[in-house]
Amino acid sequence: MTGLAWASLRHRVTANASTFVSVLLGAALIGAFATLAQTGAGEVSADDAETLRIMGIVVGGWGSAIVLFSVASTLGITVRQRAEEVGLLRVVGATPRQVRRLVLAEAAVVTGVAAVLGALVAWPAGFVLLALLRNGGMVSDTVEYGGGPAALAVTVVLVVLTGLLAAAVTARRTTGGPATLAIAEARSGAGRMRWWRVLIGLLLVGYGVAMAVVTITVTAHDSDPYAAMSTSGSSSILVGIGLATLSPLLLRWLSSACAPAVGRTGVVGWLAAWNTSRRPHLLGAVLAPVIVLTAGAAGVLMLVGIDHRTIGAGHPEGDTINLLNNLVTGMIVVFAAVVVVNAFAAVVAGRRAELQRLRLLGATPTQVERSVLAEAGIVAGIGVLLGLVASLATVVPFAVARDEGVVPDGQLWLPVLVAVATVALTLVAARSAVRRLGPLTGAVR
Amino acid sequence: MTTHPALEVTGLTRTYGDGPNAVHALAGVDLAFAPGSFTAVMGPSGSGKSTFLNCAAGLERPSAGRVLVDGRDVTEDDEDARTRLRRERLGFVFQGFHLLPYLTAEQNVGLPLRLAGRRSDRARVRGLLERVGLADRAHHLPTALSGGQQQRVAIARALVTEPAVLLADEPTGALDTITAHEVLALLRDSVDTLGQTVVMVTHDPVAAAYADTVVFLVDGRVAGRMDGPTADAVAGQLAHLDQLTRVVAS
Ligand SMILES: Nc1ncnc2c1ncn2[C@@H]1O[C@H](COP(=O)(O)OP(=O)(O)OP(=O)(O)O)[C@@H](O)[C@H]1O
Ligand SMILES: [Mg+2]
Repeated sequence: MTGLAWASLRHRVTANASTFVSVLLGAALIGAFATLAQTGAGEVSADDAETLRIMGIVVGGWGSAIVLFSVASTLGITVRQRAEEVGLLRVVGATPRQVRRLVLAEAAVVTGVAAVLGALVAWPAGFVLLALLRNGGMVSDTVEYGGGPAALAVTVVLVVLTGLLAAAVTARRTTGGPATLAIAEARSGAGRMRWWRVLIGLLLVGYGVAMAVVTITVTAHDSDPYAAMSTSGSSSILVGIGLATLSPLLLRWLSSACAPAVGRTGVVGWLAAWNTSRRPHLLGAVLAPVIVLTAGAAGVLMLVGIDHRTIGAGHPEGDTINLLNNLVTGMIVVFAAVVVVNAFAAVVAGRRAELQRLRLLGATPTQVERSVLAEAGIVAGIGVLLGLVASLATVVPFAVARDEGVVPDGQLWLPVLVAVATVALTLVAARSAVRRLGPLTGAVR
Repeated sequence: MTTHPALEVTGLTRTYGDGPNAVHALAGVDLAFAPGSFTAVMGPSGSGKSTFLNCAAGLERPSAGRVLVDGRDVTEDDEDARTRLRRERLGFVFQGFHLLPYLTAEQNVGLPLRLAGRRSDRARVRGLLERVGLADRAHHLPTALSGGQQQRVAIARALVTEPAVLLADEPTGALDTITAHEVLALLRDSVDTLGQTVVMVTHDPVAAAYADTVVFLVDGRVAGRMDGPTADAVAGQLAHLDQLTRVVAS
């Protein structure tokens, strides 16, 4: 079984490389903050311990949630893409159990190696992070870097377990049922969402909205001006991840709604509209990071802006808190951007045969490229829209809490900028993914 | 008025690799297919049948020789011209159906028209689906269709642009005998009632018997032809060819 796993690993280089990069980067991020938490647990003053704990656990925790979500969704793509092959293995007599073991072995190799390398990057990264905190005066100069094997080991275990869990869940989905059915599903790429996934998505959205309500009704009146921030700051990310969890469902609804209009623009838009609405799981994997990217960036950047305009600039804690906020945002943006690019590469690489078929039927290379770009456009448009809606969960309550009213007083160009940048990123990711496929014609046997 | 063959190849040669390891998949094939003719191409595995179809379709460049579609030499066409040729003058039917999984039967049939920048002609698409007996399945996705039904959709799609030639590579290879009969009868019908030219690669003597003519390929060369084939006669000829190849190989 392991030999087969190696062979199939090599066979799907692009998809596996995408998972590899996401996992590596994710492990590096989580690991860096984990070393801070470990440093805080060492021999440092109570104040420093508190700061480091907050940095490591709160910020690192948020980062982890996003990173783990992304790792799970990237692995989901790779495993889902194998549905056709899985069907074949099942037909030639492999039991569902054997197939799952094959899929898990492959996921274990990729995530394991990537997580260990990521942890090795995390060690110096944590060192640099601590140096930044010392230079910024956020912890005293006497604090010594205490990151070590414990923090890194926890990181590796956490990341690998998430990866394996995601692989196991998706594998169970693709291997279940009779052998022939597995092939049929592979070709359609449709399928229903599991109830528990819908439930998790709804709970996340609900929790985020509840926090927003708490901010307006309770913490807005707190004597500590940062109480409102602590309850509303993460709402956009929470709602964003919640919507991302529901992405196949949302993509089906929203793209079906705009399919007729897009379809009238010509054959390219027509193909893209049907592909996104009839196979929502495929591009849902790209939609998810687009939503989180937009929600996180727009939400937290607006939050920092509101704070700066109202009291942040004069407040002693203001700089520290906003440095943290910017750090989190930067982390989310970089990471989500990498995931968008990777997810697109993986999805497009898995569709090679189908795009080749289009060429065979007489589509020009330009038509093929444009149809993928049109899909990217649909996904980006829907993702940015949902992401901006999610960002309201942070922006509105915090603006209300700081007496700016429902609409913040400034920086309204910021969401627009985030939206434009995200759409551009998605389109560039799609284009490079298609170009990487190389020429699509050739003999058919 | 002179009528050109719908498809003609002269001295068609295709060599893979070079030096002592070179494989001569096609070693000088001369064939002409008259408009409205139904030809089966047969031969042992590896004799160059698929290579021949791929070269005729402009999916592979021949090493030497010429390919003429409707009397026009397309050998030197660039990739754009080949693409236009495929979507306007050629139809394909393959063993693996090659439908797009996210389009309904009706949308799959209309796709070549849309790719060519024309409006999908609803009446024409409907008419073809009716012809292949799938009018009631127009809105089904390929996953909801049986193999035979998918292949019939593929045939309707191949016919939609009224191509000069319909090329089929083992179109019944993945089908059971009864379903295969339906598909073959459909190809025969398109020749008889639409005047369609069909070139079909097959391993099956029964399938070949639906054609007007059978051409036998051996080691990349035309090794014989048979007009008005019957399944028995074709099977006999194939057994003979197999013997021939074994002698050549030893
Ligand atoms: N890309 C390639 N590189 C090297 N040799 C090739 C390549 N493609 C085909 N061949 C060789 O060319 C010869 C003809 O292949 P082709 O696919 O045309 O055979 P065929 O008659 O269609 O066989 P079958 O009935 O098994 O489908 C074979 O010997 C094959 O191994
Ligand atoms: Mg062949």
